Amino acid sequence: MTPEPFFFLAALLFSIALVGVVSRRNLFVIYMSIELMLTSTSLVLVIFSKVLGSADGSVMALLMIAVIAAEAALFLAMIIHLYRRNRTLDSEMCDELKQEANNA
Amino acid sequence: MLELSLFVILALFIVGGAVATITNRQPLFSAFGFLVSMLAMAGVFGLLENQFLALAQIMVSVGAVVVLNILSIMTVNAKEENLPKELHKYRWILLSAVLVSPVTFLIYKSMSMAYQHFSRLETVSTKVMGERLFSAWVLPFEIVSILLLTAMVGAIVIARKKDVIAKETR
Repeated sequence: MTPEPFFFLAALLFSIALVGVVSRRNLFVIYMSIELMLTSTSLVLVIFSKVLGSADGSVMALLMIAVIAAEAALFLAMIIHLYRRNRTLDSEMCDELKQEANNA
Repeated sequence: MLELSLFVILALFIVGGAVATITNRQPLFSAFGFLVSMLAMAGVFGLLENQFLALAQIMVSVGAVVVLNILSIMTVNAKEENLPKELHKYRWILLSAVLVSPVTFLIYKSMSMAYQHFSRLETVSTKVMGERLFSAWVLPFEIVSILLLTAMVGAIVIARKKDVIAKETR
């Protein structure tokens, strides 16, 4: 089997997730789309590791899974914090800094 | 042939899960699509003969990240009126899909033109990965452990109830 369909899958998954990030306003959906983008990137690392016959790409993908876990903890904590403050999951409501700038 | 059919099934699960993630209104249904996508991704890692990463994907991404995600969604338990009102959701998704598709094509072409075949070497095994991780990649490994500790402390600090601090800053 050639690496071509794997590359296509990675590019397609990245793009679907990018569409999710730019077109949705639900904070949870944005978070999951970012996770999907990160996973597609680690898929690319694994494919290159097999294409080049070197284990370094796989090690990078392994470290990336740890980074994904750290990102998950922080992002979910921030979502809970924002929901507690604004009582909504709408990303349009996270604009305190913008309003400060307009008032000044 | 078996490999290709397995790949097609897994790819359909991944893409279907991703589409379900970005189109569902309820975040819990999105999380189930995300779960399907992540599980099928572990299968693709297995198809690339990378058993350790497939296991790590199931243990960390499915076992920890998705479960934490679903638990947060249930903790937040947003009512229907607290969800964002996305009136023209599918229109926006369609528009951004049209805008993103050239980038997809570019990414795909730039990667697949360079390498046409898999390497015949059998060098990517769990043993070699462990040796590389603890020799050449030991500094990134340590940095990741510090990152995980910092993220844990930071998540606790951010998600903590801080009524007193919030009142003072207002």
